[in-house]
Amino acid sequence: MKLRTFRYFFREAWRGLVRNRLMSLTAMGTIAIALVLLGVFSLITTNLQYFGNLALGRIEIRAFLSESARNHELLKAEIQAIPGVQRVEFVSKEEGARWLEKALGNKGLFLDGENPLPNSFNIHPARGADVEKIAGQVRRVAGVDEVVYGRDFVRLLHLAVRLIWVLGFGLLFLVMLAVLYIVVNTIQMTVYARRKEIEIMKLVGATDWFIRWPFMLEGIILGIGGALIAVVIVLEAYAFLSNRLGQVSTVLSLLTRAEITPYVIGGFFGVGVLFGALGSLLSVKRYLGI
Amino acid sequence: MIQARRLMKKYDNGVLALENLSLHIKKGEFVFLVGPSGAGKSTFLNLVIRRETPTDGFLSVAGRNVALLKKQEIPFFRRRIGYIFQDYKLFPNKTVRENVSFALEVIEVDPGEIRKRVNFVLDLVGLIHKAEVFPSELSGGEQQRVSLARAIVNRPLLLLADEPTGNLDPDTSWEIMELLREINRRGTTIVMATHNREIVNRMQKRVIALEKGRLVRDESKGGYAVEA
Repeated sequence: MKLRTFRYFFREAWRGLVRNRLMSLTAMGTIAIALVLLGVFSLITTNLQYFGNLALGRIEIRAFLSESARNHELLKAEIQAIPGVQRVEFVSKEEGARWLEKALGNKGLFLDGENPLPNSFNIHPARGADVEKIAGQVRRVAGVDEVVYGRDFVRLLHLAVRLIWVLGFGLLFLVMLAVLYIVVNTIQMTVYARRKEIEIMKLVGATDWFIRWPFMLEGIILGIGGALIAVVIVLEAYAFLSNRLGQVSTVLSLLTRAEITPYVIGGFFGVGVLFGALGSLLSVKRYLGI
Repeated sequence: MIQARRLMKKYDNGVLALENLSLHIKKGEFVFLVGPSGAGKSTFLNLVIRRETPTDGFLSVAGRNVALLKKQEIPFFRRRIGYIFQDYKLFPNKTVRENVSFALEVIEVDPGEIRKRVNFVLDLVGLIHKAEVFPSELSGGEQQRVSLARAIVNRPLLLLADEPTGNLDPDTSWEIMELLREINRRGTTIVMATHNREIVNRMQKRVIALEKGRLVRDESKGGYAVEA
């Protein structure tokens, strides 16, 4: 393809946009709204997931050892070797007792000097999602008597995170379809206005791609324009809201704007360009069939 | 140039537009395609330019079996065929020059070459002085001459004309016919579908008559109808 031809494509795309300027602006605005919705959904989803994983990550597993347990160092090494385990701490029965006494605020808990607590390990998983798996494996280690972790809580959290993911992306999918529909309808107007031109082009031997390019560019420009608007809105609104939330609560820590910025920009422009191009291709299709 | 054997075209709605059509048009010929509306003239032209595909039979154009053309080959195949219509199909928002250049722009000819060739054909059809004018400022005959210039600017082997004089008065029609004759003299094969009895009778060229999709007459120097 020659450079001059690309200039021609851009000129034609621009003509199409200007000729239907009201519709073009509407389409750009609608794409922006759709992308903002998309952004809101995905930011809520990722933040909930982030929060869920954060919570899961704070969970630790306690493994109590039997009286007859082997050498602690060996056991620790064995548990440390389980995939997904980040850190293992040995808690001796004395330490356990001290901790318990402190937690209960009762100094002479074990009056007769008898300490019924077993030695134990505190195990920190690298990823909260692995808690159950690791707990299962720790239970099988010889010398481990009992494994304790907030099982129901972990399961619930797991389920919630997954549910959010599925629901969020189901909705995302619907929003994407709406975006596509809007783009198709907008480009269709330009295509319709130029259907005679397309017919002549076909008859004098223009290739289908030669005919498609200007429309594709038109769709892509609409997508980029919409994405630009949406990026600004979403990033500004996010900064504002997370700032407010930070003042209200210290427990709820959201992803920072800096953390989400590359994804928002990449995602919006990616979706904008992709859907603009795809929408154009779909709308030109039926006029190329001669 | 065009060879058809037992060519059939049946539309999805069941209409049989062409039935067992066999004919041979040689390079450099000037052929009139006559017959009442619905006889299959336009269908035949549409098959030749591969806007439609034959239902059955064989059709070869410029050495290519049109039924076997791959989708991506069609544009290149069409670049060797010119086409003019009864309604000219010019772009109202483009000047005469732009209308003609368009046919070369879309096949990516160099600008210098475009200018040269466009000037040449505009001169040939006698409209070089109106190159920067818009079609709405031209008469019907002039518009058809622009359309003709566009059709031949890529030096086609074959020129198809579908009722090119259908909207023109007799004198203007003759101007177009003179041009077609000139183009034919330069070596382009011409197939023209027409209802214009007078033109066919006066030109004394080969006449192929169709009726209800069938070939009913093929005379090398004929008139519009068989004299009673």
